[in-house]
Amino acid sequence: MEQQINPYRKMLTTAISGVLLEIGLDSADRDVLETLTEMLQAFICEIGSMSRNYCELNGRCEPVLADVILGFVEMGVDFSGLQQYVKNGKFMVLPTLQQQQPQKQMNMLQAGKKQPLPTHIFQHLPSFPDPHAYIRTPTHKQPVIDYEAIREKFAIQKKDMEKALTKFLCRTNPIHNLFDNEEANIFPLIACKPTFPPYLSALLPQDQIFDVEDLEYTAKDQIQNQQPRKRLKSECKIEKIQTDDEEENGEVTMKSPEKENLNWDIDNPYLAATKLPLKGKV
Amino acid sequence: MDNENSNEELDNQQQTVGQPLTDFLLQLEDYTPTIPDAVTAHFLHSSGFEPKDPRLLRLISIAAQKFISDIANDALQHCKMRSSNTSSSHSSSKGKGSKDRRYCLTMEDLTPALAEFGITIKKPQYYV
Repeated sequence: MEQQINPYRKMLTTAISGVLLEIGLDSADRDVLETLTEMLQAFICEIGSMSRNYCELNGRCEPVLADVILGFVEMGVDFSGLQQYVKNGKFMVLPTLQQQQPQKQMNMLQAGKKQPLPTHIFQHLPSFPDPHAYIRTPTHKQPVIDYEAIREKFAIQKKDMEKALTKFLCRTNPIHNLFDNEEANIFPLIACKPTFPPYLSALLPQDQIFDVEDLEYTAKDQIQNQQPRKRLKSECKIEKIQTDDEEENGEVTMKSPEKENLNWDIDNPYLAATKLPLKGKV
Repeated sequence: MDNENSNEELDNQQQTVGQPLTDFLLQLEDYTPTIPDAVTAHFLHSSGFEPKDPRLLRLISIAAQKFISDIANDALQHCKMRSSNTSSSHSSSKGKGSKDRRYCLTMEDLTPALAEFGITIKKPQYYV
């Protein structure tokens, strides 16, 4: 806002402030200053055009004192007291303005060399920006092929994976506590499953597996594990439908208690069936 | 004939009126008005007036300055009067306050002062 003000007008305002201070006023409102500035500007412009008109009327092209006097008379300015005014007062002289420094253009960080304009583009058109702005080169991070580093990375990964798996199994399966106190099982151990003949696994060849069913952990197991959950989900759906029915018919249908008990038996939050939010419930 | 006579009279009058101003013009170089010459010149240029004599510029500057000064003086008197009225009505015991009183020029004082010069100021209802 301040930047847009005409500097000449600003100087007029300053001059008016000086005059007001000279008279004995200490301060002035902003709108007063603005009004006086406008008046002063109008005064100067008006006297200028009046004088010029008189000058041209007299067939001159350079104004002389008489034109200005006639201008004063035309405007109704009393200039008889002018001499007295000049002699009486000592005018405040405004300090000369400092030349405004043009805003220094910040040097842009140059990256790369600017490409010259091709011949079919006029030279006065703006030049290309820095190449990084429009040229795209794919960058590939060179993979680390140092043997030691790879081994180390692999070891870390393996360790992390084992740790995570152990932790998961500890949470989901029965565990042995190293210490008898039940306050905190800081070192949980996965309980091992006793098989009937304990030596059987050692006798059976396990390095060559031809049948998928022989695998200890198979996809089948996972499916079997997942089945009860699915069932629970479907149960929930049935329940929902049933509740709808209840609302409609007013009948109260009991859910099978066994299934509910099954649902409650699982204390472990990791194994619990996902609970779907019942939206229909009021 | 009559017209010519009156014209001559007018010329004479102007001469008599203008004569001191001509002398005054010669002294003007010693006085520097508060309004900078360049500023006056700029506004004069904008209205097509381009004097070669810098003294004409000075003359206009000083006339303009006097114009403002007269108005401001008038407004100051209004201000003083108003403040003395209010102070006397409020409390006459505070005589000391009037001496080192600070005067602030407001539109309230400026408007009657300008009215005396034949300039009507109307406050806009709102600013956009």
